[in-house]
Amino acid sequence: MSLLELHSVTKRYGAETLALNSITFSVQSGEFVAIIGPSGAGKSTLLRCINRLIDVSEGDILFNGVSVPKLRGKELRHHRTQIGMIFQHYNLVNRLSVLENVLHGRLGYKNTLQGILGLYSEQEKREAVRILETLGLYEQMYKRCDQLSGGQKQRVGIARALVQQPKMLLCDEPIASLDPSSAKVIMDTLREINRTMGITVLVNLHQVDVALHYAERIIGINRGQVIYDGPPHALSNAQIYQIYGSEAGELILDLKERYAA
Amino acid sequence: MEASLPSRRIRLRPRNRANTVLQVTLITLVLLTAYGLVTLDTRNIDVFAALGNMFNDFRIVFLEARLERLSWFELFRELMITVGLGLLTTVTGGIIAFFLSLFAAQNLTPRQVTDTVKALMAFIRAVPTVLWVLFFAVTTGLGSVAAILGMTFHSISYLVKAYAETFEELDSGILEALRASGANWWQTVFQAVVPSTASALLSWTFVRFEINFSVAIAMGATAGAGGIGFDMFMASAFYLDLRELGVFTYAVLIFAILLEWTATRLKETVGIKRPV
Repeated sequence: MSLLELHSVTKRYGAETLALNSITFSVQSGEFVAIIGPSGAGKSTLLRCINRLIDVSEGDILFNGVSVPKLRGKELRHHRTQIGMIFQHYNLVNRLSVLENVLHGRLGYKNTLQGILGLYSEQEKREAVRILETLGLYEQMYKRCDQLSGGQKQRVGIARALVQQPKMLLCDEPIASLDPSSAKVIMDTLREINRTMGITVLVNLHQVDVALHYAERIIGINRGQVIYDGPPHALSNAQIYQIYGSEAGELILDLKERYAA
Repeated sequence: MEASLPSRRIRLRPRNRANTVLQVTLITLVLLTAYGLVTLDTRNIDVFAALGNMFNDFRIVFLEARLERLSWFELFRELMITVGLGLLTTVTGGIIAFFLSLFAAQNLTPRQVTDTVKALMAFIRAVPTVLWVLFFAVTTGLGSVAAILGMTFHSISYLVKAYAETFEELDSGILEALRASGANWWQTVFQAVVPSTASALLSWTFVRFEINFSVAIAMGATAGAGGIGFDMFMASAFYLDLRELGVFTYAVLIFAILLEWTATRLKETVGIKRPV
């Protein structure tokens, strides 16, 4: 059984705007999938429909056999705990320490009062520290998040997602605000998580070369529709240009590398 | 090309409705001022003698200040009553306002609710504090109870607006991140909203405390709420003792400066509260 199944998922804003147009695909457990496409193609909307930060208009999403669009209250919270999310702008609470931010990933498992007061069990704290250690952030544990570099902030974001013990990670442009070397660290970390922990990774990317390098599978989206769904090596240049809706030679791309490698 | 040049004088500003209204308003104000000055009833007061008297009174108030009726301890006690009045109304108002403002911030609560809360608060705020105190005095009688109720009421409406606007400036991504991890609404409020806005909330509360302190002085006199305001009223209107009035003025001034200093210090501390 697939971990995630999307059946003709459609999202409308008002009567006119069609953000997602009948998207259908399924993801197996343990896959590393990159979603590429131009800005405004619907990549972010697609990810947010999966953990229901955005409600779908039509169609069905099955996660682990459970239908997502109808979930409410407690069941929705439980669904969200199973899916970690990583953001382009990290979305950390800057005034809190690294450790406190990481432990926010446990809030979905807590009752309201424990969450309000920030009462985490010793075991949860231990787990958070262990994850920080593996991500090389042990020294930064008590630093405030606004004192970290972009790459460190994104690793805190990853730690926050991992402490949820998720089955899947949704990454929304995780390296779009990072310099090339930090971006490589983040992408390597995501691949490592995918391989060693068996967590499924769904990542939105702007950088086609990065997607081709890291992903086992590429989903190309344009104007809310799936244009391409398959392995990176089968993706032709013509198809890339089709995804981005531009003429050949108009993209900042160096695709020779993929054949050299 | 010559044809495009206007034959009339070239205007610097366009002749539109806004400019015309502004000009008419200014001219009307100038005419009203002139009329007021010409028809002013001076009651045969010698302006220079009056000015001299005024400066003499100022000299007595500020340079010959001394206590006669009250002891220094009593002065301190009266000042603390006024401070207490300001503090009590600010803290009570602040706590109630915090919970109300969560329902007045558009990024935390549906639009229909926030509009209702905001409209209600705008109504309360539009009526001055003194009128609310007099309104409550109908049931409680003039005194400290009416002053506390009225001042708290107005503090709530003021702080709800300030707090809610602070919350609305919050980065929406932080709220999204916590919701995505399965956190519920109250958890998001206390784990993301409060830590991110704490110093701004504190700073608004202090602004209100400063306002409430000065309102408390006025309430001491007008609503009979006690404290240094009442003593100032008695010294000036009843005993006609300008020297004592001077001491009270200095006491208030010193306390206001202390307050400002504490506020600045506190904000700095909260800003870097966490260990580095």
